[in-house]
Amino acid sequence: MSEWEPKIVAFLCNWCSYGSADLAGVSRLQYPHNIRAIRVPCSGRVNPKFILAALRQGADGIWVSGCHPGDCHYIEGNLYARRKFTLLKNLLDYTGMEPERLHFSWISSAEATKFAETARGVVDAVKTLGPARHFIKREAEVA
Amino acid sequence: MSEMYIAKEKFPATVKQLMGRCRVYGPVFRGQYHEFAELKAAEDADMGYQNTRLSPKELFHPQSERMFTYSLDKSDSEAEILKEAPKDFSSRVILGIRPCDAKAFQLDDRNFDVDRFRDPWWVKRRESTTLVGLACNQPCASCFCTTVGTGPFDTGGLDVLLTDVGNGYVARSTSSKGDDLLQGMEGGEKVSSEAAQKVMDLKIKAEKQLGVQFDVSTLSEQQMLELFNASFWDDIQFSCINCGICTFLCPTCWCFDIQDEVHGNKGDRIRNWDSCMFPLFTLHGSGHNPRSQKLQRVRQRFMHKLKYYVDKYKDGVACVGCGRCVRFCPVNIDIRQVARLMSARCVCPA
Amino acid sequence: MRAYTGRIREAAKRLLAENRVDVVIGFRKGTIPLMNEPYLIKSVDQVNQLYWDSNCGINLANYLPKRPDRVGIVAKGCDSRNIVVHILENQIKREQLYIIGVPCKGMLDRRRIMAERNGREPLFAEELEHKVRTVRYELDLTRDRNYFLQDNCRICTHRNPVIYDELVGDLVEEQQVDRYTDVRKIEAMSAEERWEHFEKLIEPCLRCYACRNACPLCYCPTCFVDEARPQWVGKSLDKTDTRTFHFLRAFHVAGRCTDCGACERACPVGIQVRQFTKKMEKDIKELYGYEAGVIADERPPLDTYRPGDPEPFFK
Repeated sequence: MSEWEPKIVAFLCNWCSYGSADLAGVSRLQYPHNIRAIRVPCSGRVNPKFILAALRQGADGIWVSGCHPGDCHYIEGNLYARRKFTLLKNLLDYTGMEPERLHFSWISSAEATKFAETARGVVDAVKTLGPARHFIKREAEVA
Repeated sequence: MSEMYIAKEKFPATVKQLMGRCRVYGPVFRGQYHEFAELKAAEDADMGYQNTRLSPKELFHPQSERMFTYSLDKSDSEAEILKEAPKDFSSRVILGIRPCDAKAFQLDDRNFDVDRFRDPWWVKRRESTTLVGLACNQPCASCFCTTVGTGPFDTGGLDVLLTDVGNGYVARSTSSKGDDLLQGMEGGEKVSSEAAQKVMDLKIKAEKQLGVQFDVSTLSEQQMLELFNASFWDDIQFSCINCGICTFLCPTCWCFDIQDEVHGNKGDRIRNWDSCMFPLFTLHGSGHNPRSQKLQRVRQRFMHKLKYYVDKYKDGVACVGCGRCVRFCPVNIDIRQVARLMSARCVCPA
Repeated sequence: MRAYTGRIREAAKRLLAENRVDVVIGFRKGTIPLMNEPYLIKSVDQVNQLYWDSNCGINLANYLPKRPDRVGIVAKGCDSRNIVVHILENQIKREQLYIIGVPCKGMLDRRRIMAERNGREPLFAEELEHKVRTVRYELDLTRDRNYFLQDNCRICTHRNPVIYDELVGDLVEEQQVDRYTDVRKIEAMSAEERWEHFEKLIEPCLRCYACRNACPLCYCPTCFVDEARPQWVGKSLDKTDTRTFHFLRAFHVAGRCTDCGACERACPVGIQVRQFTKKMEKDIKELYGYEAGVIADERPPLDTYRPGDPEPFFK
């Protein structure tokens, strides 16, 4: 029997975290294949709607990663994002979502090791939780 | 026409009898308000209720209804073929429905059950349902059924009418379906002349209380374009926030929208209530929206109920006076007030 | 609060007569007890239609966005806060407005009165000093006014307008209350309980969007629920869709919501939608020290940042 493997949707900023994923690749660093990377211009571009959309379509975990505070390509995009995600995660927690399904990180394009490590951490955390139970829409539940 | 008297202490047993024969729906108190639900126990039906918060149209025209399902799996031999979603059309009784709400189904029949278009699910549900009404001894302050051609004791849309005469109910059938239902019932007594008199008295009292609050007869005489261009719409529409409460609570609002939802390889075609209050209701694929302004949408709802319908069917207005929209409009737009403006003999051009 | 009516009419009359404003937005007496209708007047001869009592809970700031004219507006504490938010968000200019401030003692919750009357609508209602009386059939009910206050009014800490050009009465004393007892109660539950709690809370939702439309903050030309490409949320009564709507609606008003209670007041099925928004309000206050609609020249919390903002769970 095949073991369940989580699906993680990762929103990676073009300038840092996506670069670090690239570097992890060319450096032959191992990290789990559960990550589905979506390249976004900036972590500030990630709308809470995107996260909900991913959850609704069956993502077991979400990971948003951007440049370190102060290093944003657009100067301050990640600083707005920081507030947005703090509130979003709090509200998701508050309404009953398991906190360990959502992950945020700052990874520069040079930090391939951190990328691989964080990816492992995210996958492990979601694996411990098991398959997603909330916010998924498998079919319309109507009469 | 058959009739019987059911003492209140025997009423639960009567309901139980019915439940043995078919599905029985009744007014059930759900925390904050009453709604029609299939009875699990005879005692669940609260016959002392005023009216349900939502109109019972949900029982025939569910807010969300799966119409068809289909598979998009190419290996499936029946891929991309619409299959009707299974539904329960077994016979049922709706107990304690108010006469106005029952009358509303007859208006809705004009949309769902006419020679050219017969909505199979609406028709089947209508056919398998017996409506046992409960007369309104104490109408709401915001009701106006008598004004729009129905009434607190109107039997027009019902199969049986129950009247609470204090210690019991007088049940009178008003259709052959109702006859069948009552004839099969045990435990009924003969209606005494006092009880029969009480029904009459209650009817007169309730009808008098409601009175005639505006004159619908002049609506058909009004010039449609004059009404359409009347200046009062601007006044009426100001406070409207374009929510869908009036349309969703209304027993005679029947508009719906059909959506396809695909999840993985499986698809559903779902029918959902829609509301002419929403801008999306009329939005064209091109991006053009013939009713992009709030005024146009507000006007549409009232014109449809009080003018277009009147002219098209020549049988009164598309409103049964249940008063739900009056009670629950968050900004107090009152259809009675609008009807007064529309039916006034002199309509001033804008 | 009925005494304000005269002062409101006076102010409106003066403003229109002196051509200080083009229109005045206030309330007129409703057609049923315990309800008033938001109303716009354009001329002096209409001022006597203006009215005020404890049933003016709808937030009039809702009628302001993108108005081109000069507007006189009657505003209680929460309305004034939403006017501040509108000004911050460029929905209206301060110079266009003449704010007739109403110190508010809280608005009545019609639903609570109806429940007390076993769902029987009153034919007549009157406000006495500190009391409310409703009558219909054999039921003549008089109760303390405070007993019937809207939930948000009970814990309101800005009863006086925060911004105004004139006042129609003396400022009232502000309440010193703990605004977040209910939020803390939910926070103390387990994750599973919280999920169930909200599942139950929104179960009766009809998706009529009255909560959204009654909200002065919801002025987007196209709401996310109406977007079709992509369609973020389905149209049916599916509970995931309903939940997505409530969740994103709440998130959209983060840092902007003044807890005016218009959403709950409008809801036809009595959902306490403020349970979502109040959590955001609490977090924003604790994390960023911000209260919506109070200070007119401070950027809203999601439109700004501080380098040292807390980031408890960022790796």
